[in-house]
Amino acid sequence: MPLISQVGRNHFKVRFLLGAITTLLWIGVSLHLFPVWWTFSTSITPYKEIYKIPPALFPRGATLACYKLIFTMFSGSVTITQPFWVYIKNSGIMTGAIMAIQIPVTALAAYALSKLHDPKWSRLLFLVLVGIALVPYQVSMIPLYFLLRDFPFATGYVPKIPFTPIPFPHYNFINTYWAVILPGGYAAFNLLLFKGFFDGIPDELINAARIDGASEIGIFRRIIIPLSKPVFAVVAYMTFSSSWNQFLWPLIVLKKEKLMPIAVGLYRFQEEVNELANVIVPSDEGLLKRMAQGYSWNGVMAMSLIQSIPVFIMFIIFREQLMKGIKLRGFK
Amino acid sequence: MKKVEKVKRAKHKKRAAWIFSLPALFFVIVFGWYPLVLGFRVSLEEYHFILPPTYIGLANFREIFSDPLVPITFRNTFYYTALSIGLTFIIPIIISILLMEMKKNTIRIMMLLWFIPMASMAGNIIWKWFYNSYYGLFNTILVYLGFPTLRWLDDPRIAMLCLVLPGLIMFGPGLMYIASLQSVPNEFYEAAELEGARLGQKIWHITLPRLRPIISMLLLLAIIGNMQIFERPYVMTGGGPGMATTTVVMYFYQLSFQSLIFGKGASLAIILFCVILALIIIQRKYFKENIDV
Repeated sequence: MPLISQVGRNHFKVRFLLGAITTLLWIGVSLHLFPVWWTFSTSITPYKEIYKIPPALFPRGATLACYKLIFTMFSGSVTITQPFWVYIKNSGIMTGAIMAIQIPVTALAAYALSKLHDPKWSRLLFLVLVGIALVPYQVSMIPLYFLLRDFPFATGYVPKIPFTPIPFPHYNFINTYWAVILPGGYAAFNLLLFKGFFDGIPDELINAARIDGASEIGIFRRIIIPLSKPVFAVVAYMTFSSSWNQFLWPLIVLKKEKLMPIAVGLYRFQEEVNELANVIVPSDEGLLKRMAQGYSWNGVMAMSLIQSIPVFIMFIIFREQLMKGIKLRGFK
Repeated sequence: MKKVEKVKRAKHKKRAAWIFSLPALFFVIVFGWYPLVLGFRVSLEEYHFILPPTYIGLANFREIFSDPLVPITFRNTFYYTALSIGLTFIIPIIISILLMEMKKNTIRIMMLLWFIPMASMAGNIIWKWFYNSYYGLFNTILVYLGFPTLRWLDDPRIAMLCLVLPGLIMFGPGLMYIASLQSVPNEFYEAAELEGARLGQKIWHITLPRLRPIISMLLLLAIIGNMQIFERPYVMTGGGPGMATTTVVMYFYQLSFQSLIFGKGASLAIILFCVILALIIIQRKYFKENIDV
């Protein structure tokens, strides 16, 4: 409580100010929570109520039918042919793999730049590793697509072995998880975060361990990692949410429905339901049957909430680390 | 003996330095620089089915400059960036400063509720539903209050504003401010207190200077991120009504991955890069801080 001093807190004017701030913040919180409540209430509304005007604030005859979409398949949908757990699983695999590769790779490189390299090399490598972030992703997107299609050739065509009509051996990563995982193997922004933190750790600590005979990897594992928990928490959260939310790249490289992440699946689901809402014919038997399965906006809302749950959980874990991080920050 | 030991240790250190940085170098070169450099080459070429591409010089750029859609998409992108930074950048800063006045447990709860984390696709879809002209939340409220309903995302005059508004509620960066504010030593405020500083003065002279580096960095990221906006307009409006919300990256996606005119798409991306670079340079002029957290 830094701005308003502890001493004067009982003073009437100060109390009034604090009360005003608290009220303002709670009003803001309720403004935030209302959409979430609305989403949830839509998701448990029975499909017959959903297209009623005006919609009810508290749904009558609440049902969890829409959440069954996780396990059941649609009948008669063209674009969504998998139950939702498939998309969730895909997202989980890709996000897990990206985190497992990206965090150690980036942290080790940042540590090497911060503590191990000569200043000359450190500066040069810093330019190579961080400079990439200056250029928008779109510039390299087309060659990256080619690269993953005919790895390791990125020019859009595979050259032939001289004097033969046979193309050079190449490997196609498109329509595999690797097409999403490999470009996420390293992140320049996270390197900045790590390096900023590692720079604050005193060199004496590392030298002392070195004199005691610790190996370099041992120093990193036993001294640096325990000291850097907050920054690892921040990076883990950012990596998680950015790969969980990835949309454009999977949309380009994953054309098989069985491999799509939940962001893409949700998008396709929503597009189809949106079309439906414009041509609604309540008497159509088949349509009503599909709507009963959750094939309408309440299903979309239910799946949106499902997509948000992992982000929410990660956020809570991350917040605890952030609050603990205060003590460790005294270092700098 | 000691000297030998020292040399050995230095050698170990050097070897470890390279081993530790090699994986990152591998990824950044193979999946970063290599496609990036080729991206510039693609913009000078025309692509054919199966056959190797042919070099056509700056023809792609000429085509981009004479394309009537390109100025529209750039105008939309600038408009989106300006609106989004103008409307949604300052609020998290104010909230974070105010939040720090609360008790620790209150901060814990409020942080969660204010910076409520929602998956981005879910957020976009939920807001699209709120904006629905017939059954959406906003029109329902308007009807309850007795106002005429609006067409929200279908109205070309306010569609862009509607796209920006979700940013008011879904802001992640607030956390970064909180993390940074927590590192401000309490003594600073106590000292200011003794000097008789008022509330406004404390914010202006202690809090904001402390936040300046992180504000600078997040502003930079906001400019870069907003200039590359794709997902939200793609999901919520599909670029419509008409061309009112088609952004540069959406047009890029359409050119390169739907129409498969790779050369033209790459040159549009390079022009976008130049524009963003110019904005970064302007931003760095006003915020001279090191990019560091």
